[in-house]
Amino acid sequence: MENNLLDWILFLPLASAAICGLVFRQSGSVAGVISIGSAIVNSVLALFLLTNLKAGDAITWSREICRFGETSLTVGYSVDQYSALMLFVVTFVGAWIHLFSWGYMRDDGARGRYFAGLSLFMFSILGIVLANGLVMTFVFWELVGFCSYMLIAHYFDKDFAAAASKKAFIVNRIGDLGFILGIAACLSLYGTTDFDALKVAVAAKPAPALVGFLLLGGFIGKSAQFPLHVWLTDAMAGPTPVSALIHAATMVAAGVFLMARIFFVLHPDVLQLCLWSGAAMAALAGLCALAQTDIKKSLAYSTLAHLGIMGAALGLGHPELALLHMATHACFKATLFLGAGSIIHGCHHEQDMLRMGGLAKKMPITFATFLVATLSNCAVPFLAGWYSKDAILEAAHEHGVLVFALLSMAALATCLYSGRMIRLVFMGDARSEASTHAHESPWTMLLPLIVLGLGYSVFAGNYIGIPAASVSVLPAPMHFHFGAASIVGLGSLIFGFFGALWFYGRSKGDALRDASPMIYGALERRWMDNLYDGYVARVQQPLIEALAFIDLALINGIGGKILGAGIPAGLGALSRRLFHTGSARVNAAWFAIGALLIAALLLGIL
Amino acid sequence: MEHTTLAHHLLLAGLLFAAGLTGVIIRRNLLVVYMCLELMLAAATLALVAFSRFNNTMDGAVLVFFVITVAAAEVAVGLALIVALYRRTGTVSSDQLNTLCD
Amino acid sequence: MPDPLFVFFAALTLGAAGLLVLSRNAVTSAMGMILALVGIAAEFFLLDAYFLGVLQILVYAGAVMVLFLFIIMLLNTDKPETKYPWMKAAGGLAVFLFLSAGVIALILHSGALDKVAGPTPPELSNNPAEFSTAAKAFGRLLYTKYMLPLQMAGLLLLLALVGVVNLSKDAKPNA
Repeated sequence: MENNLLDWILFLPLASAAICGLVFRQSGSVAGVISIGSAIVNSVLALFLLTNLKAGDAITWSREICRFGETSLTVGYSVDQYSALMLFVVTFVGAWIHLFSWGYMRDDGARGRYFAGLSLFMFSILGIVLANGLVMTFVFWELVGFCSYMLIAHYFDKDFAAAASKKAFIVNRIGDLGFILGIAACLSLYGTTDFDALKVAVAAKPAPALVGFLLLGGFIGKSAQFPLHVWLTDAMAGPTPVSALIHAATMVAAGVFLMARIFFVLHPDVLQLCLWSGAAMAALAGLCALAQTDIKKSLAYSTLAHLGIMGAALGLGHPELALLHMATHACFKATLFLGAGSIIHGCHHEQDMLRMGGLAKKMPITFATFLVATLSNCAVPFLAGWYSKDAILEAAHEHGVLVFALLSMAALATCLYSGRMIRLVFMGDARSEASTHAHESPWTMLLPLIVLGLGYSVFAGNYIGIPAASVSVLPAPMHFHFGAASIVGLGSLIFGFFGALWFYGRSKGDALRDASPMIYGALERRWMDNLYDGYVARVQQPLIEALAFIDLALINGIGGKILGAGIPAGLGALSRRLFHTGSARVNAAWFAIGALLIAALLLGIL
Repeated sequence: MEHTTLAHHLLLAGLLFAAGLTGVIIRRNLLVVYMCLELMLAAATLALVAFSRFNNTMDGAVLVFFVITVAAAEVAVGLALIVALYRRTGTVSSDQLNTLCD
Repeated sequence: MPDPLFVFFAALTLGAAGLLVLSRNAVTSAMGMILALVGIAAEFFLLDAYFLGVLQILVYAGAVMVLFLFIIMLLNTDKPETKYPWMKAAGGLAVFLFLSAGVIALILHSGALDKVAGPTPPELSNNPAEFSTAAKAFGRLLYTKYMLPLQMAGLLLLLALVGVVNLSKDAKPNA
């Protein structure tokens, strides 16, 4: 029965994508209904699976697709409770985002393509979750990358969207190079890439650090970890629901999921790297969010910060905490992005926070859900974000002072940019024409906000059956004693959130920019992008020019001078007369002569 | 039949093939070129049938069956391509279709 | 001396092929092509391949050539010249002689002719599918040994169908 269920879960979105993409490209409404319907059915199926899967149970099924000597490659399913949880998060959040898209994309001319893309994305991400081995994961991993590319480039006639999609795709390729090398390393060391078999093999013979580093490459690329994080903020060029689904809730979380899944392969050195880069990125990205005026970019930096926290949790040796944070983050960040979408929709596609303001009265429901999700993001006690973030802070506290300091910094930064966002967007007076005439969004957009925001961000912690099951999966990290973590969390919450509310109320524009342009500029500046640009301009370009020089000077220059220009020129002219006439008939004649010659050679005449 | 040998059939097939190839080389009209290609295929089928008959095996004849099938499909697609080309460029002369040359 | 019928049809086929290659008018070329295909079908009959002969006439001379004629008339690209280009025809003849010399040389050297009068070669002698005039023999082979190619041929026809429909849809101007 389970196999059948998994088949349905996996292939329903594919069928929907095929139908939307191939048949209903022109009729967006039909495509939308099909895509949304399949997403909702899928989430129900995933819920059914999650509730029926008992603790410790796992469904495994695999089938060989090809065999090279001793090595066989398989595809199949391997679902334990972690993946069932992930499955549910992906399908549940995905379903609501599908519904949200209905309202958000109503005036879009290419809805058929859009919904086909969403469904295809669901298929790919579910493939990653269900996969039983690295090879199948990799296939779907690339498919996810492609879907992301396709959806970022939804407005492909805009230059920035086209450039952003290219950037996301190429940066991901860099990480995936490591991933595929890691798979090859696993194959050559252990002769298998199936998770179960690999686990047994690694237990017998620990994996060298190199394998872990290589596999980490995939995680760094897909989950936008430092130094490959540069694509995520640009990826906001896509439609807002896409940012919510792919670049906040699910795709970037796929890397975390994969790392948790192959946690047993990772060498302690790898975990150290993961820890420090994650913690540092969490702190820095949170601060960078303060220097963004585009609401979606600000949220993107917030996502980077949370991904850093997840990376740090992995590095601390708590993959289950990383997964928990991924699940709660998926819900409140999806709500935040959808809320941003609702705001953008209501403000007639205005994305600049400095040109918003006073929206609380005009968009009350959006405000309420956005506020709740923000508070969850700030880890207000007993909201979803608190459970995971506090536990991670706790673990960091046990580990060492520096990591704890970095993560505390991240927590404070989270509260700061959250307060800033609320203050700039919802409070004060309207600062532009668009926000003066803002209007509340239709119900298809509000319902997902309410369900995800109020229902899930608030209660995900320990109420209702679903999240309760998700928490019970985890080996009891939920011992809340009033420790350093709680103090830091609460302190940063009170100081940061309310401080930001006060601070940003002081000026018409961005208070930080007015107070200290230097700090603001430093935060706004895109250091890594500049570094990469510098690399391309200073290292890669001269290298290529040197190669071109060698080519021209040695081969053309010296070759031409020494051998004399006559012979090559003569040959060139001859070949131009004989071969490159541009006439198909001459080509046919040469073809006939060549065929005769080859036949003669084969028969041994010549 | 008794006095007609395999050599005669192969000779005929070879000459037909050469005639078709000549047409491909010297003609400009793509439609005629296409017919010449078909002639080359037909010549090849003649050789196949002859081999099949003289070796007393059915395989060559079955192969001819497939050749005819493929040729029919090919003609349909090829002619559609020529028509599309004509719609776009207004010519079916291979001498004027040299956009890829430079 | 070969069968007179063979000689007759060989001459007919070659003459028709010459008409195909040398005629200035595309419709005349198509007529030459039809004649050549009928001649080849006649050679099939002489080789006892009756089924293939019928198929040749039905599919080639019937369907395919009608299609050609349709397209020729649809495009109507003939620009009759005032004088027949004899020089070009002579050049074509030279090409033809060169190519046929090559082909004949290949045939002579291929060793295929040594087997003319011999019995069925040993590698084929235990083949149950002996040459037969019956269409049934085709059917048996097609549905046993050549099952996969048969399916692929069907798929190919389907793809050609879809492709042609797609190709002949009215393209948007300047798209």
